Amino acid sequence: MKQLLASIKKEFFILLNDKVGLALLFIMPVLLVLIITIVQDSAFKVVNENKFSLLIVNKDAGDYGDSLISLLEKSGNFELTIKNNTKKFDFSKETLANKQLFGIYIPVNFSANLTGSAALLSQTMLSAFGAIEEEPIKTVQRNQPLEVVYDPILQENIRFTFSSSLATILKGLENKIVLESLFKEMDFREIPAEIRKQISHQSWIKESIAQENKTAVLPNSTQHNVPAWTIFAMFFMVISLGGNIVKERNAGSFIRMQTIPSAFIAAVYSKIFVFFIVALLQILLLFAMGRFLFPIIGLPVLTINSSILALVLFSVLAAFSAISYAMCVGTYAKTQEQSNGFGAVSIIIFAAIGGIWVPTFVMPDYMQSIALISPLHWCLDGYYILFLKNGGWKDLIAPISYLLTFSSICQLLMLLKLKKQHYI
Amino acid sequence: MEGPNKSVIIEITNLYKKYPKSKVNSLNNINFCVFKGEKVGFFGPNGAGKTTFISLLCALFEPSNGTIKFTLNNQHFSPKAFRKHIGFVPQEFAFYEELTAYQNLSYFGALYEIPSDILKEKINTLLSKLGLSHVKNAKLTTFSGGMKRRINLAIGLLNEPEILFLDEPTVGVDIQSKTAIFSLLNELNAEGTTIVYTSHHLKEAEDFCNRIALIDAGSIIACDKLENLLIENNVPDLEQLLLTLTGNQLRD
Repeated sequence: MKQLLASIKKEFFILLNDKVGLALLFIMPVLLVLIITIVQDSAFKVVNENKFSLLIVNKDAGDYGDSLISLLEKSGNFELTIKNNTKKFDFSKETLANKQLFGIYIPVNFSANLTGSAALLSQTMLSAFGAIEEEPIKTVQRNQPLEVVYDPILQENIRFTFSSSLATILKGLENKIVLESLFKEMDFREIPAEIRKQISHQSWIKESIAQENKTAVLPNSTQHNVPAWTIFAMFFMVISLGGNIVKERNAGSFIRMQTIPSAFIAAVYSKIFVFFIVALLQILLLFAMGRFLFPIIGLPVLTINSSILALVLFSVLAAFSAISYAMCVGTYAKTQEQSNGFGAVSIIIFAAIGGIWVPTFVMPDYMQSIALISPLHWCLDGYYILFLKNGGWKDLIAPISYLLTFSSICQLLMLLKLKKQHYI
Repeated sequence: MEGPNKSVIIEITNLYKKYPKSKVNSLNNINFCVFKGEKVGFFGPNGAGKTTFISLLCALFEPSNGTIKFTLNNQHFSPKAFRKHIGFVPQEFAFYEELTAYQNLSYFGALYEIPSDILKEKINTLLSKLGLSHVKNAKLTTFSGGMKRRINLAIGLLNEPEILFLDEPTVGVDIQSKTAIFSLLNELNAEGTTIVYTSHHLKEAEDFCNRIALIDAGSIIACDKLENLLIENNVPDLEQLLLTLTGNQLRD
């Protein structure tokens, strides 16, 4: 016990003297969580809360160009700038010059096209019902389509979101015109108010989040980034802990300890203990940041609705996995450069394939299979179960089993190597 | 086995050592005794097997063949139990440079499970004898090479070992540090501590050791008092003796 306490004290002294190591263990993850959550939250808001800036050039000779503009405005998704004097030739250039994300050029015969198309459809329908005898017009020529330009820096998903919104608005306008045309063909002056009301109030979609029980937790940048980068920070301790082991061995301290009965095992356990405390402090610090600091600076708060006991025990297991991996790397590396290089690169790869940066569900199938080898993936999976899906112990069986197996393999490999080197 | 008025601490019989990946034996048919209270030195070219031999004497690992018996005060010890009675001063600075001299000595003293009050006194005595009292709270990163060598030695002496193993204890030190180190070693030896020593500093070895063993290609090729070996081989000093018995050929 005396040996263990002395070794723990020594490890703490060494850690406190290692300013770079402390920065890597605590300051780096704080910055990572903060910066990446802010960036992702902004991106999230661009799509979900902010308005798309949109330049409109309306050359329509009829009224539907104005109707379209009015609908775009009412949708609340767009910040409109109208410049009807812009020539078609300058339209694209003007969109960029005005720092607009999108531009819409409404051609001169926009209303005529919509009206013609609606008349064709309504006549065809009435003819099919036998309500009119005359032959419908055969075709309507759409010689000038609506033109859309966008800023080249825009991501594909944002372009897609915009196109979908615009298509929905256009479809609504088209439907309204078709309906008007239909009622006109049937000698109504306008669509009856009751029908108009019913159409505008119809909604067939009710959205909600899939979860294990009824407590709602909205997925957001905080719910992903806080656990994700906490896991990354824990595993990144391979730099401090792995390097610490190599340095101690190469300096000859291990050989000296070999001559002192039980000292080596005490040294190993003391490292596990001290870095376990470090990992728990990382978790506390980063989770506290998500819980208390984020709402103050306008970021979504970290919501922890699951069992605290499950969260604590799962965090303990995640920390133990990170420590086991770091100790295994440190035992096998011959130099500090090897330990730092291999350790850092392997954690970055594990993080990339494990869904720390980009969720695994957006990856191709084969990458989703590869993700299963990453311990960071299973740690994140466990936190997703606890933070987003409100799962319980039963749901944690898979990540817990994987992490226990992973830690055991790392510990076993480490002990085999130490045995081979006659340290134990 | 008894030497001239001395009992055997370590007795080695027909010892062989072969590392798993090596094609040749590192040590071949070694028969050797370490006597209580002596200062025995091992010398030989690089790769001769000195480090392997010292590691076996320290009971750090087992031989491939042959036996090693550890005896103290007529009592036999297992290799593990014997380790409690040895002090080891490796060639490397086997301590923590981020910590102070006092913190290092406290840590290693605690590993030997020395009671705190005794340890404190022991640390102060050792630091004083090695001329390091004034820097006991300074980090070892600030120490010179000579000061680090002295701390390295102090750690090896914390448990008041019956037998002290020294691997190149004076590499890179100035004459003042060297004098302090040998003065302490001679004092300890006079008090009964057995010293096993290896170095490439042959001149200092001539003055320090009272028995010399020359190792080459994993075998002990000569072992006796220095004056006997010099007369027997008709050479003036240890350096010439080594060259005569091991040749001028460069070693890997």
